[in-house]
Formats: sequence, structure tokens, C-alpha cells
Amino acid sequence: MKKLLMKEFRLCMHPAALIMLGLSALVLIPNYPYAVSFFYMTLGIYFICLDGRENHDAAYTLTLPVSRKQAVQGRMLFACCLEAAQLLLCGAMVLLNRKLLGGAPNQAGMDANLAVIGQGLIVFGLFNLVFFPSWYRDINKVGGAFLKASAAVFLYIVVGVAATYALPFVRDGLDNGKPECFTARAIYTAAALAFFMAATAFACRLSESRFEKQDLTL
Amino acid sequence: MAANEFPLTVKGLTKIYPSFRLDGVSFDLRPGAVTGFIGRNGAGKTTTLNSLLGFVRPDGGEALFWGMDMEKQADAIKKRIGFVSAGMTYYTRKKIRTITEVTKSFYPGWSDETYRRYMQRFGLEESKTPAALSNGMKIKYALALALSHGAELLILDEPTSGLDPVSREELTEIFLSLRDEGKTILFSTHITADLEKCADRILYIRAGRLAADSAMDDFAGAYRIAAFDGEAPAEMKNAALGICRTRKGGTALVKKEDAAAIHADWQIPTLDEIMTHLDREEAENA
Repeated sequence: MKKLLMKEFRLCMHPAALIMLGLSALVLIPNYPYAVSFFYMTLGIYFICLDGRENHDAAYTLTLPVSRKQAVQGRMLFACCLEAAQLLLCGAMVLLNRKLLGGAPNQAGMDANLAVIGQGLIVFGLFNLVFFPSWYRDINKVGGAFLKASAAVFLYIVVGVAATYALPFVRDGLDNGKPECFTARAIYTAAALAFFMAATAFACRLSESRFEKQDLTL
Repeated sequence: MAANEFPLTVKGLTKIYPSFRLDGVSFDLRPGAVTGFIGRNGAGKTTTLNSLLGFVRPDGGEALFWGMDMEKQADAIKKRIGFVSAGMTYYTRKKIRTITEVTKSFYPGWSDETYRRYMQRFGLEESKTPAALSNGMKIKYALALALSHGAELLILDEPTSGLDPVSREELTEIFLSLRDEGKTILFSTHITADLEKCADRILYIRAGRLAADSAMDDFAGAYRIAAFDGEAPAEMKNAALGICRTRKGGTALVKKEDAAAIHADWQIPTLDEIMTHLDREEAENA
């Protein structure tokens, strides 16, 4: 798997994905829906898959001594590495936001706090769950898979922003910087991490099974 | 010869699409031979190769590489084969050096010395990208990669299509020298002139079915061709496997044993002539 991951980083990395990592800095903007920052990385992953199609990445990978299952695992692990990098960067930006803006309330969604990372985990979990199984049904139809995944992600982002006004647990328990609410935010983020892991593992199994059956038009 | 001594044994390979059927294709590849795989566009050459390599899932039959099944022993097989396709260029904007470094990491048997030797022989530079290479050079680079990981069987899908005559000649020379080194080559093409120069055996596929599997000389020697002016004589017309019209009259292809009874200037046909006559007849009968 290490070799496949190296192959992904060296041959499949698209510059857009690295630029999207830089957009973690959006968390420094006052009154911005911070969950949107994570959407940009999903766009980066989409570019990687699109570029892979143009460069016959699947054909190259399958001529190497690796199985189809391993090819799927390699790509999804690569995506998870990029997602983890963005979560870490956003975490650093949350700390910087609190230092620079003094934890000023965010009128456009969740305040800059630990729960933003929880939102990121849910965005990435949803994206992985919808995008990869859909894409591995037909690797030439990357645009359709991305549209479906983006619809799911944006629905969650809209509901997430609305919840900071409408849902008491989110409004009073998560959407603030109060130290006494840290436990609630930590539990929320831990639950989001569990969702991310379960959704990604399920997506991986489903993608493997779909890719196994697929006739590749190369 | 035992089954596991053949680089490739294909038995009853079948793939069904809504508008096309690859129908029970069976053949063996002899070690150290160049086997030409011919057929018109859409006859099933690429479907066969894609099924062998596992890109498409066959609906029936099996393909055994040295007696091993691709489904169960893909790792061991892929280390011993190389696939080269004219229509497929990987990572066009990456440096050749990077592609090589990644590729070699997957092959424990990779030889840097062999790689350098072929890169030098083919005049390839590692600092270039595939996008900067001509089509012929791309094929040579793919060959260099395959040979450096110790591929014993090279599967080439239309490697000479789109190349100028000089590059095609150069590549067929390379294939012959690889055969002399003991490599087995399966060479799919519709440019049959290339095979006249280098193929030892011919597999001929028509409408998804293997129509011939024989030694090159036997394949061409089994037919005779003659030209006629105006209308074809009746006995020629009756015996003809296919007739192609020309400006003055036409040419008829018959079986060698039928030619003796018909008075005409019979010649041994080229692969191109066999294919065009047989496929024309089939298209007309369809």
C-alpha cells in the first residue's frame, strides 16, 4: 500500500488539491460558513480523479502487480491523507482565528472552535460515502459522481448553518467558545470522527465491489 | 508441450456486449515467437486483449499465463508480462524519470542496467515528458519499462498504428531483436504489412470468432489470388472466398486446392489481401 500511496502522490497529485489546502485560511475570515472550506478539498479530489481519467491512471495502475481492490484502497487512502491534511490545517486556523479575532461570534454558521473540525469530518465522510461508490461504478463518469456528492455536502452545509440558529444543542452547546461547552464540542467531534471512519470504510468496501465488476473502457 | 510452458493459453474466451459478441476464442502462444493478431476494426482484437489483461470481465472461458489464472495469481503474472498500447499514454505531463521511479518500485526484479541499456538504445531522455515524445518514442518508452521489469511476454495493442513507415520499420526491427532474445510477443494490428516482416504465427479474428490460428507461411500459403479483367469467370466466382473490384476488373481469393482447377495467374496473397477479401465477403453476407 505504501508503494501505491507513493504512486498517488508522485503521479496523481493535481496542483489544485494543494491550492485547496491553502484555502484552509478561509477559517480566518469573520462571518464565513467555515464548513465550505472543506468543500474545496473535495473539489481538489475531483480534479485528481478527472486528471487520472485523462492520463489513463486506471490502466496504468492495473498493469502494475496490484489488484483492483488495492487500486481502490490506494486512491481512497490518498484522498483521506488530503482530507486529514486539511483538517489539521483548519485546526491550526481555528486556533489562529481565536487568537486574532478573539473568538468573535460567526454570523454565517459555526464559530471557529473544535466543532468546525467535526463539521469537516462530516463533510468528508459524506463526500467519501457518495462520491467514491458512484465513481467506481463507472470511472469515466467522474463529473456525475462529483455532482451527487456535492449535492449531499451542500445540503449538509445548509442544514449545519441553519442549525446554529434553530437547534438549541448546536446553538447553545456547540456554536460558541465557552470553555464549559468544550465537552459537548469534543463529543460532537468524536461522533463526527466515528461517522467519517464508518462512512469511509463502507464506501471503500462498496467501491471495491463495484470496481471489481466493472468493464473498463480505456 | 505442457500447459504451463505456454506463455499464454486461451480457452473459449467469451464476452457478450449488446451489439458485439466475442465468441469462444481459443489459442496458445508459443514461447519465443511473434504472433500477429489481425482483424478489421471492431473484429474483437482489443476486447480479447482487454479480457486477457483483466480490464474487462469475460463472460466465459479462461486465460492462463504459464498455467496461472489472472484472477488468482495476478501479481505473479503481471511481473512477467508487459502491455504496450499505442492509444494509451500515461501521465503525459510528468517527467519520464518520475514515471520510471514509481514503476520500478512495484517490481522486485527491476534491472536498472537493462533500463539504461534500452533507454540508450531507443534514444530516450529521462528529463522529457511523454507529451514531448513522438508516438514511436512513446511505444519505445513503454517497451523499455516492460523489458526492465523482466517481462517475458509482451502484449502489444496496435503499437504501429499512426506511425510513419520509417518508425514502423524501426519498431518491427526491435520486435525481431526482442524475439531473438527469447521474448514472446503478441502483436495486435490491422496494419498487416508490419506482420509480414516479423510474425511467426497469425491469429485472425473475424466478427468475434477466431477464423485462423496458424504459422505465417501456412496461413498465406493456404490461399491463392488472381486478377481478372471485366467480369470474373463463372468458375472463379463460384470458388471465390472473396472478390474485390478494381478499376479494370477485380481480384479473387480462393483456397489453394481450388486454384489448380481454374485457369488464371495465381499468386500467394499478402495478409492484407486475405483480410480484405475475406472480410469484404463477410460484410456483404451480413
